[in-house]
This record gives sequence, C-alpha cells and structure tokens, in this order.
Amino acid sequence: MIAPEPEIHGKLFDWGLTRRLLAYVRKYRLMLFIAVVFILFMALVNSFMPVLLKVAIDDYLVGGEDGLSSAERIAGITRIGLFYIGMAALAFLFRYVQSYLMAWTAEHIIYDMRADIYEKILRLPLRYMDRNPVGRLMTRVTSDVDAMQKMVTDGLVGLIADLFALFAIMGFMVYLSPRLAFTLFAVFPVLFAVMAWINRNTRRAHRQVRYRQSALNAYLQEMITGMLTVQMFNREQRVRERFDERNSSLREGWIEAVRWVSYFFPAMEILNAVSIALVLGVGGAAILAGSDAVTIGVVVAFLAYIRDFFRPLEDLSEKSTVFQTAMASSERIFGLMDEPEDVLDPKEPVPIDHFRGAVAFEHVAFAYVDEDWVLRDLSFRIDPGESVAIVGATGAGKTSIISLISRFYDVQRGCVKVDDRDVRAYRQVDLRRRIGVVIQDPFIFSGSIASNISLHNPDVTREQIVQAARYVNAHRFIEKLPDGYDTRVQERGITLSTGQKQLLALARALVQNPDILLILDEATANVDTESEQLIQEALKRLMKGRTSIVIAHRLSTIRGVNRIIVMKHGRKIEEGSHAELIQQEGYYRRLYELLAHQPA
Amino acid sequence: MGFQNSVKKQSKHALLDYLRAHTRRVVLGVTAVTFSVLIGVLIPFITRFAVDDLVDGGVRWSTILGYACAYLAAALCSASFGLWMRKLLLSLGHRIEYEIRRDIFAHLTRLDYYFYSRQRTGDLMTKMTSDLNAVREFVGQGILQGARTSIGFVLAFGIMFAINVRMALVMLFLLPTTSLLFFLLLRIIRRRYEETQEQFSIISNYSQESFAGIRTIRGYGIEDRQNAHFARLNETYIDLKMALSRVERPLWPAMSMLFSIGVVLILWIGGRQVVAGELSVGAFVQFMQYLFILQWPMLALGWTINLLQRGLTSWKRIQSILDAEPQIRDETPAESEETAPPRGDIVFDRVRLDMGGVTALDDIQLTVARGETLGITGPTGSGKTVLVWLIARLIEPTDGRVLIGGRDVRSFPLQTLRRYVGIAPQEAFLFSDTLANNIAFGLEETDLEKVFTAAEVAELSPDIESFPKRYETLLGERGVTLSGGQRQRTAISRAIARNPAILILDDVFSAIDTQTEANIQARLGSVMTERTSIVISHRVSSLRHADRIIVLENGRITQQGTHRELVEQPGYYRDLDEVQRLEARLETES
Repeated sequence: MIAPEPEIHGKLFDWGLTRRLLAYVRKYRLMLFIAVVFILFMALVNSFMPVLLKVAIDDYLVGGEDGLSSAERIAGITRIGLFYIGMAALAFLFRYVQSYLMAWTAEHIIYDMRADIYEKILRLPLRYMDRNPVGRLMTRVTSDVDAMQKMVTDGLVGLIADLFALFAIMGFMVYLSPRLAFTLFAVFPVLFAVMAWINRNTRRAHRQVRYRQSALNAYLQEMITGMLTVQMFNREQRVRERFDERNSSLREGWIEAVRWVSYFFPAMEILNAVSIALVLGVGGAAILAGSDAVTIGVVVAFLAYIRDFFRPLEDLSEKSTVFQTAMASSERIFGLMDEPEDVLDPKEPVPIDHFRGAVAFEHVAFAYVDEDWVLRDLSFRIDPGESVAIVGATGAGKTSIISLISRFYDVQRGCVKVDDRDVRAYRQVDLRRRIGVVIQDPFIFSGSIASNISLHNPDVTREQIVQAARYVNAHRFIEKLPDGYDTRVQERGITLSTGQKQLLALARALVQNPDILLILDEATANVDTESEQLIQEALKRLMKGRTSIVIAHRLSTIRGVNRIIVMKHGRKIEEGSHAELIQQEGYYRRLYELLAHQPA
Repeated sequence: MGFQNSVKKQSKHALLDYLRAHTRRVVLGVTAVTFSVLIGVLIPFITRFAVDDLVDGGVRWSTILGYACAYLAAALCSASFGLWMRKLLLSLGHRIEYEIRRDIFAHLTRLDYYFYSRQRTGDLMTKMTSDLNAVREFVGQGILQGARTSIGFVLAFGIMFAINVRMALVMLFLLPTTSLLFFLLLRIIRRRYEETQEQFSIISNYSQESFAGIRTIRGYGIEDRQNAHFARLNETYIDLKMALSRVERPLWPAMSMLFSIGVVLILWIGGRQVVAGELSVGAFVQFMQYLFILQWPMLALGWTINLLQRGLTSWKRIQSILDAEPQIRDETPAESEETAPPRGDIVFDRVRLDMGGVTALDDIQLTVARGETLGITGPTGSGKTVLVWLIARLIEPTDGRVLIGGRDVRSFPLQTLRRYVGIAPQEAFLFSDTLANNIAFGLEETDLEKVFTAAEVAELSPDIESFPKRYETLLGERGVTLSGGQRQRTAISRAIARNPAILILDDVFSAIDTQTEANIQARLGSVMTERTSIVISHRVSSLRHADRIIVLENGRITQQGTHRELVEQPGYYRDLDEVQRLEARLETES
C-alpha cells in the first residue's frame, strides 16, 4: 500500500532546519569565509567606480577654477580612465573568484548531502520502501537536493552580495553628498513598500500558477495513460472540456501573474525617475546656490548609484521563491533522514568466517503489519549440509522464512538462529554475504553481464566469473551475446529472457560461494523447457554440499531434497521425506496431487 | 509505409497561424514597445540640457525644476507604455500556449492504440510541458525582447550618430561585439550544461535502480559498494559542474567588465572632445546614459537568439505530435450518415492480427450469436484480450474482417460502434475522481440511479457503504486506494452502467472470491439474457454457465464447446477444471 505524501509549502525561514543545514556547511567554513570577504571587496570596488567618474567630471571635464591646461586635463582623464579599467579588472577578479569558490563549496555541500540521503535510503526499513514509491525517493536525491543547491549558490550568496552592495552604495552616497544622500533615503521606504507589495502579489500569483500547472499536469498524465479507456467509453468530448477548464484556468493564472510582472518594471522605472528628479532638483539648487557640497560630478555619480541601487531589487521575488522552495525541500530531506531504522546491527557483532550451515526457527511469530500474523509459533531445525523443501498453499508464510533468515525483518517473538546463534548477533552484511538467495525473477542491474555476476566485487576475477557461469549452464548463452561477458544489459543494452536472467542469478549466487542457500522456486511462465532443464540442473549442482532451503512449487525440486516441511497458515503441520508424507495420506498428499496436475 | 518517412512532409501546423489570430494584439504590443523605447532614448536629452545649464550657470532654479518635472513626466509615459507592452505581449505567449495545448490535447484524444503503444508517457509529458514552455517564451519574450532590442538599436544609434559620429562609431563597434561574445558564451554554457544534465540523469537512473533493487543489494550485502559507486558518479558530476562554472561564472563579470571598458572609451574620447570644446559636458553624460540604456538590449540580443533557437526546436517536437495521424478513424465523416446501431451476430471472418512482428491471432473464424454468452479462456498471452478489442475497433485486424450484423465494424462511426460495446478491461483504469463519477464514466451525465444499480449488480455497494464518504469517495493518489477486487468490481459497474448491447468482461473476476463472483454472476445473468456477452476468464466457475466456451492457445482457437462437452475431451480446459477442483478441495480442508 502506498502512503500519500504530505504536502509541504515551506516557510521563508526556519531556524531548526537552518541549523541542520549549517552542520553541512561547517566543513567548508574557511572557503565560505574567503568567498564572503571577496564579496565584500567586490561591493566596495564596484561602488567606488562612480566616484572616479565624479572626479573626472569635476576636476578635468568641467575644468574647475585652478585653470589646468588642456594637456593636463587630457592627461588627467587618461589617468582616471586607466584607473577605472584597473578597478573594473579588480571587480571582475573578485567577482569571478568569489562566485567560483561559492559554486565549489555549494557542489561539495550538496555532494555530502546527496551521499547521506542515498546511504540512508539504502538502510531504510523495507516496510518504508514498500509504502513509498521509488519515484518519490528519487525526488529526495534529485530535485530536493537541487533546490538546496540553488539556495546556496543563488539565494544565499546573492542575498549577501546584494546587502553588501546596497550598504556600500549608501556609504559612498553619504560620503559624496550627505544632503543628496539623505534626500534620497527618504524615498527608500516608499520604494521598499511598493516593491514588497508587488512582490507579495507576484509570488501569490506564481504560487497560483504552480498549483494550477501541477493540477493540469496531473490531469494530462492521467488522461494520456487512460486514453484507451476514454476512447472505449466515447468520452473524448468530455475530457476535452475538462482539460479546457484546467487549461484556461492556468491561462488566467498566468495572465494574472503577467499583470503583476508588468507592474513591476514600470514601477521601478517611475521610482527611479523620482529619485533622479530629486537629485536633479535638490542637487541643481545646491549647485546654483554655489554651494561646495554638490558638484556636477556628484550629480552624475548619483545617477549611476541610483541605477546600481535598483538592480538587486529586480530579482528579489525570484530569490525569495528560491528560499521557500529550498526550505520545503530541506524539510522533506531531513524528514527522510529522521526516519527510524528498524533492523539494526548489534553493538558487538559476532565475527563470521564461515557458517557450518545450521538453521533453526524457535517459536517464531512474525507479522509484516501489526497483528496480521504470517508465522505463528513456527519451529524447525535444519542441519549443516541438509536440503529441505518448504511447501504449502499460497499465503502459508513460506516466503517470509527466507526474509527472516536473511534478517530483512526482525521477528516479533521467538528467534531465528544460524549456527546456534540468534541472527541478531551478527552484522547484517556479514550474515547476508554468507547466504545466497536465488529468486525466479532476479533483479538485473544495468551494466555488463560480468558485473551482474560479480556485482562489482573487485576480488572476483574474470576466470571466476566464467567458471561460475559454466558451472550453472549460463556460459553457453553468454558466449553467444554480441560482446560476451561485456555485453551491456538493461538500460541502453539488450534485454534478457526470463530464463537467461535466472541463470545469471545462479552464477551470481555461486560466485559469492555462500554457506547457506535459500531458493525461491516459483513456477514461472515464459521459460521454455530447454532453459527450464538447464536451470534445474544448475540448481542441483549449486545445492550440493550446502545447507539449502527451497520454497518449492515444483515437484522436481521437491523430490530431490532430504526433508520436506509442510506449512499451513503460518504453522508447520507435517514433516518428513517425500515417501513418508505420501504414505500419511494427509495434506501433503493432496498438495502433491494438485502440483501433478498443474499445467507446465 | 517506410518510404513515406523519407519524404519530407510540410507540416500542416504552423506557429504563424496561431500568431495570425492575434494580429491586433501583436500590432498594439509592438506599437507600445516603439513608444516606450522612443521615450526612453529621448530622456537622456533632459539630463543633457540640465547638466549643460548647470555647468554654464546663470539659470534659475525653476528651469532646473522644470527639467526634473519633465524627466518625471517622460518616465511616467515610458512606464505606461512599458506596462502595456508587457501585458499585451507576455500574455500573448500564454494565450498561444493555451491554444496550442488545447489543440494537442484534442489531437491526443483522437490518436489510437498504435500511437500510444509507441510513445512513452514521459516523452509526451515533456513535449507538453517543457517544450511548450520554450514555445511560449519564444512567442512572448521573443517578440517583446526582439522588438525592444531591434527598435532600441535603431533609435539609440540614430540619435548617437546625430550627436557625435566618432563616439557613435565606438559604441557601434563595442556593443555588437558584446552581443556576439555573449551569444557564443551562452552556446558553450548550454553544451556544458547538457553534459551535466546527462550525468545527472545517470545519477538519477542509478539511484532509481538502487531503490528498486534494494532487496538484491541488501541480500548480497553490497551496500558499501553501491555507496562508493554512487560517490564516484557524483564526483564526475561535480567535475562537470565545475567545468560549467568555469564558463558560466565569469559570464556576468565579463559583461560588466566590457561595459566598464565602454565607460572608459567614452571618457577618453568624449573627454578629449569636451576639453577641446567640441562636446558639452551634458552631451558627454547623455552618451554615458545610452551606454547603460543599451546594456540590456545588448545582452538580450544573445539571449533572445538563444530563446528563438530553443523555441523552434521545441516547436518541431510539438509538431511531431500534431502531425501524427490515427490509424483507426472514421472512414467517412461521422455525421455524414445516420448509421443503424450495430446489432446482430458478431462474426470474425478469417481474422489474423500481427503485433510487433509477432502473430497474436491467426485464422480466427468465429460467430457469436446475438444474445449469446461466450466464454473465452487460454494461457496468458494467447490473444484473448486483443480478440475482444477487435470488436470495439481498439485495434485492427491485419487480415480478415470483423462484422456485426453483417456489416464490417469499420463502416460504423467509431462513436456509434463504441456506444454499443461495454468493456470491463483486465486492468481497470480508474481516474482520480469520485467513485460515482468513475462508475458513471461512460454515461453522458452522472445519473446516480444508474450508478447505484450498477454498483448493486457488481456487489460493490457494500464496500462503498463502508467508506465514510460513500459514492463521493475520491480515488487515486490523494484519496483511497482500492483493493484489486474492488477495482475489478468498479470496472464491471462502469461497463454495465452504460447498458451496452455487447458486454465484454475481460478477466475481471481474478481478484474476487468465488462466492462474491457467484453472486455477481447470478445478478448479471438476468442482465445478460438480453445482450451478447463475452466473458474472458481463467476460472472454470466463471465460464461454466456460458452458452459456449472457446479455448485460445497461441492465437488460435483450439477447443470449442459447452462446459459439459469440454470437460469430456482431453485438453487445456479439462486440465484447468481438474486443477481448480483440487485447489478447491485443499481450500476447504482446514
């Protein structure tokens, strides 16, 4: 059953989440510090440049009273020009280095975070994996992490840089002309109020758009998948109408958003003009009054400052969206990180070299959910080297036996023992590496045939791979593939038949050289008789000399084992060899008859 | 068919047609752009006169105040035109996006099984989301920025050349260089960006595979190896991202650097002229302002070209959907003639069906009499489902014909044909809507009376009564997930709610227990007498009451007869019966 995903909207700022984010940042604090220093330099240099313009105009262009010669004035202009270029180069350098450092830092923070999330997901309880579709988990390592990265590179740094720039500009304004500066500062509250108002509405409109867009996409996706049903029931006209409702509601949403965006730039333009008019009016008055405080150069420099001052405000709404999305993403990410793990390794695990291969269930009771018992008080013993088949109708609890020996789940009561020790005494990885599980529909990874056998174990040589494949009858089909053992499978590669996949999985299990073999032997369709024979033969070889537990559905497998355990409703009801059980005329006998009639 | 692909076809669907419907809006928008830009390039004159008057001195403050007011008034005009141009042109993009999306969707509803079996949902979704976005930007931003940039260039340079040829020439050299540089850098950035995206999709595929194969990974205890490989993939990703950063990060700094060079050039050249008395300080300041006015259009040029390229590529992809023709469609226009409803015997006349190079059905010769109940069984993949699909023309025979009442199904309008055929498919597709609407899906209106009756017949009502919101219960991701049996019963309700002349139940009892099935069968029995019914099943209990049963194996009819007849002869059906009786015996023993 798939659990619905809770919706998270995200606040602009959340201290609890920020603290956990900072934990990731700490490792790179030196880099971050250097970057911030560079940002500071950059802001200073950038806002210093209009001062140069002011000097050029006042001292050399307008001429001043000191009566400089033309040559001296031109020399001055040239000097200032060179200086200006020098400053620009410096600004370029600071900005480049700073933004490169930030990108580097952000990438590394995100790298750490992505690795943590991935590793966490690999440790999550299988119950959690069953409830959450793979697509959702993917979102955590992809788009959620991406949102975080955007926040660090664009949001955070942009914000710091903008703040520094604004303060630096205000500082230089006051330095050049306190009178003009403070006149302008009087406009700022209005500026900020208008910006905030438009910004709020733009964000609201955009939220509306996102909401409608995802409603439309969901509908679209559903209709594309269900189009044949729509056509079967002649509902084309109606779904077109339904789609149109969503489509036009999205269009209206966009037009509303466009309205606010259209207000934004003109509003900026007008406020910009108000500021310039103020500078012209107030500055002009001062110049005409012959005051020393304001010069033509100052007025021109102010024109430049006003322009620079308005620029950071332009993408403020975009930045706040970045923050909001990132906060929602981090909430989801940390929610996942906080997910409890259920099967834990012991503090002092018992080291394993090899198992002798004794397996025992002692009064085991187990349920996947709550009190929905799959196994009730199950006990049995299997000696080293023995092969045992477990049979029973569907739902008797056979499959969970395999999961419990591998400790995919923990039992609620009783215990599962391997080599006379509770499986909980071993490290999970140690335990599972000594156990080979063979299932009928094995998972094939994208990669080569060889890597699917070795599972990238560096200790497994090519010879071992080939030897294993030979032993389980897989070599013959592998050899015929275009690139033999290096043939790519799955994504962008060839598709294997079910029978070939099974043989591959047998080789995979053999390479691992397990001490205990667990085999899930379901009757599968789509395997031709020839492959079927190869598989059966390989299984027999694999079981030789190893403790083997077969969850059996086929007579051929059942006949070949030492002992049979018959299960029903989570309990053992009969036990013995095939001959003994047939003689008992009990449940097994009837089960056997059913299997004999099953169409191949 | 193959040769048709090689012939380059002109697409019937042109972006220009969409634009043509909005000619008025485009003309008004471009006019607004022209005025907004025109006023924008005139404003620096005000600054120029103000500065010159201030340098000369001897003016009254009221004159300066006049300049300030003029500046404000001009800015107000420019801003109003700016508001209008954005409103008109940006919303144009969204209007056209709406229209294109509407047309694609309408076309999607006409496309058939053949189209959908070739296309992946993900690809279609991409075309209807990101490609459509690119087209929208192409239309909205493309026209807006294109007009602004080109008009801005012409007007600003016209004025600059009128004022001072030498400085105008410097600008003419500098600005297009910037545009070109910007455009080229954007291209490199795009290429590297695509490389990072590729690596990103490798990472996301890898994690998808890990999460899907979690049992294998844990079973073999190879979590460490997986983690290490994931780390390696991410390291490559970082490298690619940093390679991108090396070209992307200096982009804006380099642009500001170029403008600083522009400032200095004006300072050097204009400064000399000012000193020589050839240029006023005001004109110098005016030029400085043009540099800043042109700063944005200059960058926008590269950006707009990029936008146009992407928009065109995306539009081509969208065209590929619009140009796809359904293979199954009305031979004659649907309205042309009022056809008699498809009633009478269903005849499969030497039908063969090839799918993907495999023969799914072969040599099917079968008549289902009007009012008859036919049972179909056979192993998985033997062609049972496609056989019934042929009746509703969801798929077409490669050879032979399917007739209803003596007429080829192709001669009925699709709408008419499908109105008389009710299919409860194997995998019922339920929509995320209310239960009532799902059951009433095939009705013109949600008629609750019919919904209740249908739910009653399909034994679904007791389940529905147990839901808090009953018939208003929402299904799907945001609502209730139904069990397999409930889904099947919903599918049955949906099919019978339409009261079809031909009822097809495609393996809809597999997840329903035998007792419930018997109840449904009994209720259906009274409904079925009046109509032709086809029941596909793997269960003998579902088939035994049929008037006739056929067994399909490897696309051929291998056995035919009543239940009694078939259990007498050796073959698939008898084995099936045997196994199911043994199973039942095991079941009852506790």
